[in-house]
Amino acid sequence: MLALQILIDGFAISSLYALGAIGFTLIFGVSGVLNLSHGALMVVAAVIAWWVGGLLGPGTGSVYVGAAAGVAAALVCALATYRLIASPIQKSPSIPREEKEIFVLTGTLLWGIMLQEAIAYLFTNNPKTVRPLVEGVVMILGVRTPHNEILTAVLSWALIGLLWLLVNRTRMGKSLLAASMNPRGLTLLGFELSNIYLAVWAIYGILAGIAGVLLGAFLGVSSDNAGTLTASAFSIVVLGGLGSVSGSLVAAYVVGYLETLTAYLISPSIRTVPVLLLLVVVVYLRPQGLLGRR
Amino acid sequence: MLRNRTFLIVAPALLVMALLPFGVGGYILGLLTLAFYYAVFAMSWDLLFGFAGEVNFGPSFLIGVGAYTAALLNHYWLWPIPACLACGALAAVIAGMILAVPALRLSGPYFGLTTLVAVLLLQNVIVLNAGITGGEIGLDLPDVLAVDDTTNYYYAFAFMVVSGGILFGLSRSPVGLILQASGQDAVEAAALGFNVAKHKLVAFCISAFFSGLAGAMLIFYMGTASVGTVVDIAVGVNVIIAAVLGGRRTILGAAIGAIFLIGAGEILRPLGQLATFVVSAVALIVILFFPSGFLGRLLHPEGRE
Amino acid sequence: MRKAYLAALLGSVFGLAFTTVSAEAADPIKIATIAETSAISGIGIPNAAKMAAEEINAAGGVNGRKIEIVAYDDHNSAADAVRAFQRAAQQDKVSAVIASYISEVVLALEPWAGRLKMPMITPGAASNEITKRVREDYDHMKYVFHGYLASTQIADAVCESAKKLLVGDLHMKTAVVMSEDAAWTLPLDEEYLKCLPKIGIKVLDHIRLSPDTTDFTPIFNKIEGSKPDVIITGISHVGVQPTVQWQQQQVPIPMFGVSSQATNATFWKDTNGATDGVIFNMVSAPDVAVTPKTIPFAENYKKKYGALPGYAAYTAYDDVYMWAEAFRKAGGTDPDKVVAAMEQTDHIGTIGRIVFLPKGDTFAHGMRIGDGYITGLMVQWQKGNPVTVWPDKVAKGKMAFPSFIKLPQ
Repeated sequence: MLALQILIDGFAISSLYALGAIGFTLIFGVSGVLNLSHGALMVVAAVIAWWVGGLLGPGTGSVYVGAAAGVAAALVCALATYRLIASPIQKSPSIPREEKEIFVLTGTLLWGIMLQEAIAYLFTNNPKTVRPLVEGVVMILGVRTPHNEILTAVLSWALIGLLWLLVNRTRMGKSLLAASMNPRGLTLLGFELSNIYLAVWAIYGILAGIAGVLLGAFLGVSSDNAGTLTASAFSIVVLGGLGSVSGSLVAAYVVGYLETLTAYLISPSIRTVPVLLLLVVVVYLRPQGLLGRR
Repeated sequence: MLRNRTFLIVAPALLVMALLPFGVGGYILGLLTLAFYYAVFAMSWDLLFGFAGEVNFGPSFLIGVGAYTAALLNHYWLWPIPACLACGALAAVIAGMILAVPALRLSGPYFGLTTLVAVLLLQNVIVLNAGITGGEIGLDLPDVLAVDDTTNYYYAFAFMVVSGGILFGLSRSPVGLILQASGQDAVEAAALGFNVAKHKLVAFCISAFFSGLAGAMLIFYMGTASVGTVVDIAVGVNVIIAAVLGGRRTILGAAIGAIFLIGAGEILRPLGQLATFVVSAVALIVILFFPSGFLGRLLHPEGRE
Repeated sequence: MRKAYLAALLGSVFGLAFTTVSAEAADPIKIATIAETSAISGIGIPNAAKMAAEEINAAGGVNGRKIEIVAYDDHNSAADAVRAFQRAAQQDKVSAVIASYISEVVLALEPWAGRLKMPMITPGAASNEITKRVREDYDHMKYVFHGYLASTQIADAVCESAKKLLVGDLHMKTAVVMSEDAAWTLPLDEEYLKCLPKIGIKVLDHIRLSPDTTDFTPIFNKIEGSKPDVIITGISHVGVQPTVQWQQQQVPIPMFGVSSQATNATFWKDTNGATDGVIFNMVSAPDVAVTPKTIPFAENYKKKYGALPGYAAYTAYDDVYMWAEAFRKAGGTDPDKVVAAMEQTDHIGTIGRIVFLPKGDTFAHGMRIGDGYITGLMVQWQKGNPVTVWPDKVAKGKMAFPSFIKLPQ
């Protein structure tokens, strides 16, 4: 009974972690950017979804319109992150190559703080909950499970599947893969790199936006959570191996289940501690992550 | 030439700061006192990043260890302040070595993440042992450096000048040059026969020493040690922003960045909640358009790095 | 300056006829508020303080001087708050401070109140430590007043109401205590574990959760496993998230106790109505005439700021009146005289009759609680509105729970 409960609860939260982290790892793999405004982006999506949904009043339609508005807001913010911060820094001639990384990190961090403060200013930092797309609960072998939790898991996996198809089965996806392996070779073949980057940032924005809205409906989100969300995506991605999509998926489940197990079997107040310790051990013993390439 | 120009900028600035207590009120002195401690945080960070090329996301791990060691000794055993400060600095060096010895084998984001995780773990340890550490509320200290603003100001000012002098001297010494070389191209530096790892470890220990000491002094100025003041990731973020803003690889620039950051936050206080937004926006603009920072611009007006 | 002097001189010569002139001319007395303004509990502090100041000024001010509120945002950081406090005392020359609803921040400010001899009151922090320091080091800490209930007092109020509502009305026998891991809940939990058995409720389990918990599923499942009749809460940093997850997962056990975020008028909207049925402790509610001042305050606040006041707004409003009265009695702003005058406070505010406990008391400079003073209320969210359900003489309705709640038969 307890085992089943852990299995079900861990699955939902892990799927959400996976969805949040997968876009993060994708842009790192393709464009080499570790986006520290990631958490703020998810917060923007959730809060806008809550706000627009609330403006339109009760009714099922408003939930969907709100969710769409939230995802659109995250998309706009992601493109702005690329256009205004990541791309100018990467192209800047006055920043030495070996320091691009710290500039991208600092720049996206500052941008994330700006987004977070703007949300806190406009909507207060009180946590907001997006109205779930479906209400109610169902009993799965004696474990009471909210419909919303099932929907979260299903949607996350559907999106991950779509992404897989996109990357492996379409021409655009193949050029993304190529860009992550050998950007110079791709330009020689006549591809416009900046178009590819733009596309990958758009995909990232949509993924982060959906993850944000789902998180807002599942757990609730406050602007204060931005830093934690970024840190959690960062940890998952490093644990799985930077740039490795499948590694991130595995790592998301490791983190999700480790947290759930700790919360159920030891104590909810030390929920995150074993994950941090695992992270240190993995980084020391196997810096390339669980499934990463050296 | 470079040394001359630096001297021409620094000397008058220091003179003005030394005479400031005769001209301005206690409030501005209090503000600068805080800024001076942050300046030491930022300069220590710059030694590690600008010279050794290691991005330490967890300056507040070192600061926090130093501060809490000193706070616990003072709170429970009533040790005199100098002894607490010494132990705080020592503890920071030891903690720094425990973190650095394995972590320095890593590079780039991995090193960064490890230092970040160290902060989160320290925070958890403090909050979970609330019975001893005071948890969220923090520890209050029976002793403070001084109640008087001017005295506090001079303590902080002297501390900043001495630490800044040592760190700056170090960065211009042969050791600093080796560090810089290994930060830019570790393989080449090793090929030249330098023990890169050893030099980086030394840089880390020095950075830890000054961070820990400054953290300990800061809490004896504030009168309380709390997670929000010396451990929180936001503290570390401010330190990094200050150093990058002021100009990396300059040491002194980091101090200017820190004073600017604290000062701007205060001048913008009437904006209330928007203050942080505006400060971040200004910092972002500087980073995007003047990537060598305030001091980089001043020292190399021709725009060359 | 010369004009002011002249006006004062003329005023004293011609007596009352000139008091209004000198009131306009004299320097205002400044009171600082320090709170995080992007938090709903925080923004109520400067808002309510400004309302009180306007009313006092409209009635002629204090000793012929106007009250001016200077608001500082501390971003809930102890370091920012200390800086704001120093600025208030040394640069902006305020005469008293109304500071924060976060115990961590208040405790960091407390030594500074002593060092800078700056009278200070907190409208919302609950830690027992605040008054403990005043008792142990009265000479230095006497400048600090506790304008909210201490954790132990809150726990007692919750138990008192539980005796009637849970044991009497609903025949409950067992409970699980669920608190966030923070310093203010240590004395709260200790008192819960002591007073609940006394009223006949057996505590089956005691769960302390990390304040940055976001997923409460394991916690609720664990609680459900021990099959209690009720969950007794002690939460403040968290609020929206556990409430929403409680409703979404349809946890069949009612929540009762302290839930600071639930005191905010926007809580219904923030949780999309998930808070329906939650019962929480509050010192004043907008639907109850705790005193004749309560309802007019809540209504005017809503008119002015568009939302009902949170818990710290009621107390901040009263605090301004009490400082003003202390300035009046002290004949000025000398800190020692103001503190002496403040200790004599006997003020009917929006939260009840406020009297501070004397220096030898366990809660020195804390508020006296009990019948005739401050009693506290239990309020329940029902269909979008907070409805007071305890104590009986002011109750506006009966308890009602959403359909997924299973009450003991």
